[in-house]
Amino acid sequence: MIKALPPALVAFLLLLPPLVCSNYWLDVLNAIGVSAILAFSLNLIVGQAGMFHMGHAAFCAVGAYTTAIMNTALGTPVLWTMPLAGMAAGFFALLVARPIIHLRGDYLLLVTIGIVEIVRIALTQDIFGLTGGANGIAGIDRPYIFGFRIYKPSHFYWLIWGMAGVTIVLFSYLERSRFGRALNYIREDNLAADGIGINSAAYKLGAFVLGAFWAGMVGTILVSKMTFVSPAFFTFWESVVLFVIVILGGAGNLKGVLLGAFLVTGLPEAFRDFEGMRMFCYGAAVILLMIFRPGGLLPSRPGDYNVAEFMKKLAGPAPNPRSGEDKRP
Amino acid sequence: MKKIAAMIMLALLAWAGPGGAQEIKIGLMCPLTGDWAQEGRDMQRFLEMQVEDLNAAGGIKGIPVRLIVADDGGNPRSANLAAQRLVESQVAAVVGTYGSAVTEASQGIYDEAKVVQIANGSTAIRLTEKHFTGFFRTCTRDDFQGRAVARAVTRLGFRKVALVHDNSSYAKGLAVEVEPLLQAAGVEIVYYDALTPGERDYSTIITKMKTLSPEAVVFTGYYPEAGMILRQMQEMGWKVPIIGGDATNNLTIVEIAGREAAAGYYFISPPGPQDLSGEEAKAFMAEYEAKYGQMPGSIFAVLAGDAFKALVKAITEAGSDYEAISSYLHNDLKNFDGFTGPIAFDAKGDRVGDLFRLYRIDGEGKFVLQP
Repeated sequence: MIKALPPALVAFLLLLPPLVCSNYWLDVLNAIGVSAILAFSLNLIVGQAGMFHMGHAAFCAVGAYTTAIMNTALGTPVLWTMPLAGMAAGFFALLVARPIIHLRGDYLLLVTIGIVEIVRIALTQDIFGLTGGANGIAGIDRPYIFGFRIYKPSHFYWLIWGMAGVTIVLFSYLERSRFGRALNYIREDNLAADGIGINSAAYKLGAFVLGAFWAGMVGTILVSKMTFVSPAFFTFWESVVLFVIVILGGAGNLKGVLLGAFLVTGLPEAFRDFEGMRMFCYGAAVILLMIFRPGGLLPSRPGDYNVAEFMKKLAGPAPNPRSGEDKRP
Repeated sequence: MKKIAAMIMLALLAWAGPGGAQEIKIGLMCPLTGDWAQEGRDMQRFLEMQVEDLNAAGGIKGIPVRLIVADDGGNPRSANLAAQRLVESQVAAVVGTYGSAVTEASQGIYDEAKVVQIANGSTAIRLTEKHFTGFFRTCTRDDFQGRAVARAVTRLGFRKVALVHDNSSYAKGLAVEVEPLLQAAGVEIVYYDALTPGERDYSTIITKMKTLSPEAVVFTGYYPEAGMILRQMQEMGWKVPIIGGDATNNLTIVEIAGREAAAGYYFISPPGPQDLSGEEAKAFMAEYEAKYGQMPGSIFAVLAGDAFKALVKAITEAGSDYEAISSYLHNDLKNFDGFTGPIAFDAKGDRVGDLFRLYRIDGEGKFVLQP
């Protein structure tokens, strides 16, 4: 009963904003929600698998452009393109991550920075004549759910935070699954993980593809909210911000990442009244945090496994080998 | 410190809402952070000076004007928030912003809230093709540059030209605009092709052009390639004038080509803040330079100033509600004296006429405005 209270309270608090907030603050919350979902998907790669990936905006871009092109050229309803956007991003991740998956630490980081820049420049250069160059693609439809047109900030609030909720539930299951544990082993010690029979390359690639799939779906929401898309959405800076959210909030901890999204996307808005000082306050906050809490605000805790309990369960049903010996004459 | 205190005061005042003293609020949306922070700062300084002057002279019909600045970060996503923020502070109209994608992200919000917006640096064509009645811009559209290039070619009297682009969307777009305009003006295009940007050697393409003996070369690409072509043409002893677009308006071109080879290069560009004619503009620029120690870095801050001037005029003449301002700007503002020349808007909200001027690089490597 008491344990159920915090989630109920959170759910209640989430219901409030559309009733009391102005459009501006609703859109701030929407921006936070989009960052949060993207950060959750990045957390799978950076936090769970421990791969330094700073090019997440590239995957979001692939998804966003998939939706934009399908919706404007073929007239496919926006929300229908969402899984396709995810798949396009996932496939793209598979292609680019396969050759670089063995790179470690900073080396991987450098390559992923390259990826996001290449994607942005390719989009700006109007690749295949599909992306509309620097001006991007305009005239993207609003999403419809059962005939209901989503266009107000309050409508998007439900869409975005609904998706965030689904993301949290799915990703927290994933975290505790066989897949999630394998990623954690790889993060802690790649060699040891290989040693206990984990195919680390396949798992890492899986994390990349899944993270990209999710980022691609967020791309759909992003373009349907803006109704246009341009390469300016997917700069290197956007990738850095996502990376900062994950590291600052606490890599590998979903609560930490959510908190990170609120701080990194929300704080600059809260400091808006200080205009000139706002980036200064923001920078100072990030530096102080990294000095005093290098693991992030809510660091990921090691899993809690009761070994004694586990052994007992393992030993319980098995027949006692000694009983056989006693019968010998 | 005083400035920060003033800002906090301003912020508190903003919260006080419409119940406070009577004033007219005008919003400025500009990039104060991000890659274009320099542009944004110039815009803010420019408008702050204008507001100061205006209020010293009694404001609009005795009502003081207050400028509310929102940082769009040069990024469509934060522009969305900046626009919501300005709408919420109940501004009568908004000036800004610089980047086209950034403006596009805010257009819908202003349109929904019925706030007039005058952009100062967003040149993408489709911004004014959406039929928002309250959207205007003081800069010219991308497709106006083609006309300016064609006009320059005919004015300089060339009848036979080579047209070269570099396949980038900007340069190709400009070349596609220019080609039919030149043909319509009776100019023969003897060579029309793209070069590969970033190479060190363009001698093949130059030799090919030379055999066709055009009177001038029109190059629509960027300054590094323009500089290389100038140098290699000089080395090959072939001297015909080259005319470029505003992507070659960069001092580095002289460094790449060398002073001697760069001399005589023509390009089309909006005037720099130091080249503005008109007594009022000159006086204001001098005042600006005296106050901040330098001129604005580009023309776009000045265009924001023009937007502000047009808004003040419209509010003075017609009142401060949406319908009144937008209808005045569309229909009644004719030949209004702006910093960058006469201002008027057409039915779409585009500025009538264009801003482009012809420049020539002189023997000293300086960019000289051609009359």
